[in-house]
Amino acid sequence: MSAPTSSFRDGRGFDRILVWITLGFLIVFSAFPLVYNVIMSFQNVDLFTLASFDRPFVGLDNYDEVLTRNATQIIVRNTAVFVVLSVAAQLSIGFALALFFQQRFPGATWLRGLFLAGWIMPGLVVGGVWSFILAGDFGVLNWLLQTLGVTDDKIFWLSDPSKSLYSVIIANVWVGVPFNMILLSVGLAAIPDDIYEAAELDGAGRVWRFLTITLPLMRAQLGAVISLGIIFTLQQFDLFAALTQGGPSNGSNVMQYWSWELSFQDYRIGQGSAVSVLMILVVIGVAAIYVRSTRHEHAA
Amino acid sequence: MTIRTLLAGTAAIAASPAFAQEQVELDLWTIDDPGEYHYVMAEEYMAANPEVTINLRTVQFPDMVNDLARAIATGDSPDITYIDNPEVALFASRGLLMDLSPYIEASDIVNAEDIFPGPLASVSYDGGIYGIPRGANTIALYYNADMFEAAGLDPDAPPQTWDELYEAAKVLTKPEDNVYGLAFSANGNEEGTFQFLPWVQMTGGDYDNIATPGAERALTLWKAFIDERLASPDTLIRGQWDSTGTFNAGNAAMSISGPWEIPRMSEEAQFDWRVALLPVPDTEAERASALGEGDNVILANTDEPEAAFAFLEFLYDNMDRVWNEFGYLPASEVEVVDPKFPEAYAVFEESMQYARNRGPSPDWPQISKAVQTAIQSALTGQATPADALAEAQETISDVVN
Repeated sequence: MSAPTSSFRDGRGFDRILVWITLGFLIVFSAFPLVYNVIMSFQNVDLFTLASFDRPFVGLDNYDEVLTRNATQIIVRNTAVFVVLSVAAQLSIGFALALFFQQRFPGATWLRGLFLAGWIMPGLVVGGVWSFILAGDFGVLNWLLQTLGVTDDKIFWLSDPSKSLYSVIIANVWVGVPFNMILLSVGLAAIPDDIYEAAELDGAGRVWRFLTITLPLMRAQLGAVISLGIIFTLQQFDLFAALTQGGPSNGSNVMQYWSWELSFQDYRIGQGSAVSVLMILVVIGVAAIYVRSTRHEHAA
Repeated sequence: MTIRTLLAGTAAIAASPAFAQEQVELDLWTIDDPGEYHYVMAEEYMAANPEVTINLRTVQFPDMVNDLARAIATGDSPDITYIDNPEVALFASRGLLMDLSPYIEASDIVNAEDIFPGPLASVSYDGGIYGIPRGANTIALYYNADMFEAAGLDPDAPPQTWDELYEAAKVLTKPEDNVYGLAFSANGNEEGTFQFLPWVQMTGGDYDNIATPGAERALTLWKAFIDERLASPDTLIRGQWDSTGTFNAGNAAMSISGPWEIPRMSEEAQFDWRVALLPVPDTEAERASALGEGDNVILANTDEPEAAFAFLEFLYDNMDRVWNEFGYLPASEVEVVDPKFPEAYAVFEESMQYARNRGPSPDWPQISKAVQTAIQSALTGQATPADALAEAQETISDVVN
């Protein structure tokens, strides 16, 4: 770094510049907000002290407060249900579709491309469309179910606290499936055909080939898709804002939405930060799994 | 900052008659879009006062508090802004708003005694007056007179009490025709508090005294509306505007909402719609209603307090126009000549006398949240109305003290 122009020639200084640019970017845009957030979670912060560093430290009060609220238990449980069900459904449907489009039929690639439409739509638009479908009194889904004779009574998908979380999950699965499918399609395409042919010659059936060839060779992709799925699902905010606002009565509230509510509706910003710090810990764990699964990929 | 101070200094030294017509710039934040109140008024004011330039900026209503707090923190706040009335105490308690009382005392145009008690309370904090209401609104009971007649109810005698409201809702509910008796909003946001608090206030309670038998009775009645399907379960996640939309479409026979509905209702509702005062718990009970709309306030760090107040005076002076031109009620004693929708106006104008402020409290958002939580947990059956209100009271007492 002392003489960047001269070391440009031997290429070593250039490496360092690249590293420092990346590192600088990460420090400014990732590390600083992260650390700032952690600090705020130990302070008493309201709207008007947001910009100053001189705020009273309150130790673990914020954590104590958010962990002992009546709503905490239900929100943590909702978050777990939301993540597990969303990721499981996104993965299995996405994988099934990827396998389906792997069969080379006319128009397969086109149709697969069209599936991405759901992925590129803004979350609020998706939420708006699903709120039409799931509306209680005049929703499309209720009309369909009643016409088909599945149910006589209207189902209040969004305003019944025992159902509202599942409504958001349905919409979230719809949003996440295309991404899962594309990523897994890429992995499937990378498996050489001759392995399957050899296995077929040896007498391995479809199911056996799937279990002994496809699954093991897709390990890295599956690991990556699952960890990314968990991270994306933990970031899912728009659908909650558009469909239920976490309600009724926290029936569909999850930690990411709660953190925003605490910070920007109640203006208990320290507590909102505490919730997001707890979430960061979970995401770090998931990210570690993701890094491990991609490292495996590079080694292979 | 330094340049501005320098300029101000030079201006003071050079102060002479030649500089009397010095250009004044005022920054104004509003929730209006071009063509609405603040834009129209600012244009008229600038045309009449060429030395004043008003720079308007539209801020979305839900973002106003956040944006304003951020602007104050970075020293970039406007001179004048609109604030929703329960938030005035939030800013005033932190010394961020200019106390207008000395200006009002000296003013020939603004007389605090002419402002209705509810709106005046919403801008008062700790002995000071920190804003001037730009108008007001309140809620009342809209009803479909045709449905009343069809159900054998007298359309000239709308429900006066809670019991009558309940009975009417029962008679008017027709599940086979997709008609609910009543539409209102128990949404888990400020709208839920806005709709519920008047019911508590009619029974003698208020935001800081909410675990009362009266409040419990109100919440139990709300729960009956939902449980007996006299109102849609979607009431829990729907705002007033969407709820009243179902009334306009003929899917609810009555609706509780405010005057902002009238322009749309007069176009969409294909029936004889009328308005009545919000029913009271018993015939002798005192009336109450919600107080909505917001206030024009001046930020404490403005460079142009006189010019800013002069514009506020102009706004106040045009209070008689707000009903016909902008769709809300005057917040002070003025005569509205030839009001549009005269029957509805008469009801809302009377209702305005009973409109009560939410708060004031510097921590209103937290109090409101506690009330919303109580409403929602009781209506979903997670807690009994009494328990839900007791828990809200506990939270609110913590916040207030």
